[in-house]
Parts: sequence; C-alpha cells; structure tokens
Amino acid sequence: MKLSAFKQALILFLLAEVPAIGEAVYFRGQVSWHSRAGESHMVSLSTAQSWGDNVIWVDARPDDQFAADHIPGAVSLNEDHWNDQIQPFVQTVWAPGKKTIVYCGSESCNLALDVAERLRKDANLPDVYVLSGGWEEWLKNKK
Amino acid sequence: MKPIYVITAALCLILPAFAHAELKWEQTTLELNPGPSEKQAIGHFKYENTGDKPVHFKSVKTSCGCTAAQSQKDQVGPGEKGEITATFNIGDRTGPQVKTVTVETDDTANPVTQLTLKANIKLILEVQPNFVFWQSGEEPKAKTVIAKAGKDVPVKDIQVTSPNPQFETKVEKGSAPGEFKINIQPKQTSAPAFTTIAVKPDYPKDSPKTYYVNARITAPPAKPVVSPAAAVSSPAGPGSGH
Repeated sequence: MKLSAFKQALILFLLAEVPAIGEAVYFRGQVSWHSRAGESHMVSLSTAQSWGDNVIWVDARPDDQFAADHIPGAVSLNEDHWNDQIQPFVQTVWAPGKKTIVYCGSESCNLALDVAERLRKDANLPDVYVLSGGWEEWLKNKK
Repeated sequence: MKPIYVITAALCLILPAFAHAELKWEQTTLELNPGPSEKQAIGHFKYENTGDKPVHFKSVKTSCGCTAAQSQKDQVGPGEKGEITATFNIGDRTGPQVKTVTVETDDTANPVTQLTLKANIKLILEVQPNFVFWQSGEEPKAKTVIAKAGKDVPVKDIQVTSPNPQFETKVEKGSAPGEFKINIQPKQTSAPAFTTIAVKPDYPKDSPKTYYVNARITAPPAKPVVSPAAAVSSPAGPGSGH
C-alpha cells in the first residue's frame, strides 16, 4: 500500500489533533487567561517613584510579613483585619489628591489586587494602583 | 514512505497522550460555603497513587498568604491514598473567594497540579461606599450610602448611629426590599472632623454584625513647599506662627 506524502501528512495532522482535543476538553475552564487588574491600574516601580511624595504605599501582605520588612512609610492594610485597619487609614493616612499604591509579595500574588479593588469599590477612593512585581520588585531595585 | 513509518509516528504522538498521571486527584476544585461566624474554610483534596512507583511532593504553594496548605506526607507509595489540606483564613473577606494551591511532584506525566478552593462567604449587608468625605470649606451637602441586604438575607430594618454630633444621619427605605439609603451630612466643613458611623441590621436576630461607614472632613490641601529663597523673601512663611 502506497500513500502520497499529502495523505501521510494529513493522517499525522489528524492523529496529532486527537490528544490536543482531548487535552482541551479535559482542561477546559482550568486555566484563567485573563487578569483582574486592568492595565490602567498597574503601575511600575519607576513610575511610582517618579510620583515622589504624592504617594501612599499600602502593604497588603499578612501582618508578619509587613512586620518583618516593608517599603518605608507603607501602612499595613489587608483583608485579614480590614475592618480594624480601614478606619485609621481613611481617617489619618489617606488624603485627597494623593495616589495610593498597593503591593503584595510578588507578581503572582493576588492580595494587592483584592485590597485595591476594595479601596476603589467599597471606600470609593480614586487613584488606587497596584505595584507591578510587588515587594519582590522593590527588593530587586533596592539592591 | 511505508505505512509502518506512519503507524510508528502516529503511536509516538498518541501514546504519550494516553499515559495518565500516577497521582490521581478525587477533585481538583472544591466549593465551600462557610457560615457567617466561621473564621476558616478548610478543603481536603484527596489523592491516590494509581501508578507503580512512588511519587514525591516537591512543593506545595498557595496563591495567597491567607491560605495555608500542607501535605500529609512527602512520599506517596503505589496504591497509597492521602490528602492535601488547604486552610483559608476568612478574616474580613466577603463574597466569592478563589484561592489556589500549586502542587509540584516528580510525576513526570503530570508534574504540576493546580488545586482550586472556592469559598462563598455569605454577605449579610453590603454597605457602599463605606467612606465619604468632604474637603475643608466644601458645601456641607448630604452624601448617600447604600446598605443592601445580601441575596436571600431577610434584613427588614437597620439601625444607624453616629457618635460624632457633627455628622447627622438619616435613613430611608431604598427602591428594593432590603435596601436602605443612609444620608450623611456634616453640620459644617470649616474644620477637620471624623466619625465612624455604625450600621446594624436586624438580622441575624441573636448576633447581628455591625458594619461601619467612615465620614471625614479633610484638612485643607497642603500648601506647596516654599523654597528657602522664597521663604527668606516672605516673612510670613510656613511655621512663622502667629
């Protein structure tokens, strides 16, 4: 039996499709390709630093990590103790016209996104951003 | 090209697809519905080694510091069962929460598995916004906060109290059942002031949770920094006092 090159290629292509389709069906919905933070809400460290003193740094990491080290001047605000921490934050820290930049451990961390969303949605604060790369990025640039 | 080559090439493509992971998970996604008074949501991800060689856990990482995950053992022998326990600390979070645990093993067929823990934290009352402010000197107009009962939560009434008499509050029924409008109005905005207004729903009857709205009159915007040269030329510069 002789098969033309085209037929052989077609057979190989179709056979390759079998596991591909199987994988697509098996893993459907298990991979999220979208980010919750809009591009406009992410800010790079260099941009944040160019804003100078017009910035309020918010550390969204757990208390122990904040206590170990944090960006100078940052305040701790996380969802573990949101109800206790939001009051002093809006009472004494936040000021109109200031930009709020939230960060957590690293690029893959979601805590900063959650806190930033809550500051925007629940507290209705304007100019709330998330630091790209988070604390890891800060440390990298500190060295 | 002989058909045997086609078959060999085809087998090379297909066989890896049929090789199943040795560590078989009962479920990789768990949905939990913790009660309003619960502090943690705990998920048990059960697995079984269905292969014929041991599987070692290389790492178990969580997507957030609020979730801890641990494996019962470092090595799972053939036929052995076990579980990874994911503990999500609810804290002051509300609504749907999705946390992930990434498990890395030396199972070559399936080295990384992502486990998903979904926790739906029941919302009794949503208060938005929970912060209102007036700039110093701004007209002291009332600002409205909406308090809305969560889905299927029978809140009939709310009690609103402001500890600072500088801020007056008035509650009106909203357009939908379980919805309330809280109007907050400062008496004046000439001086900085602050209050935390308590909002207490009538549900659950035995232990209603209190929600808070922060209201503030901010200080006037800071004056631009005066350069030393300008300060010298201005005898009434910052800090000169009365």
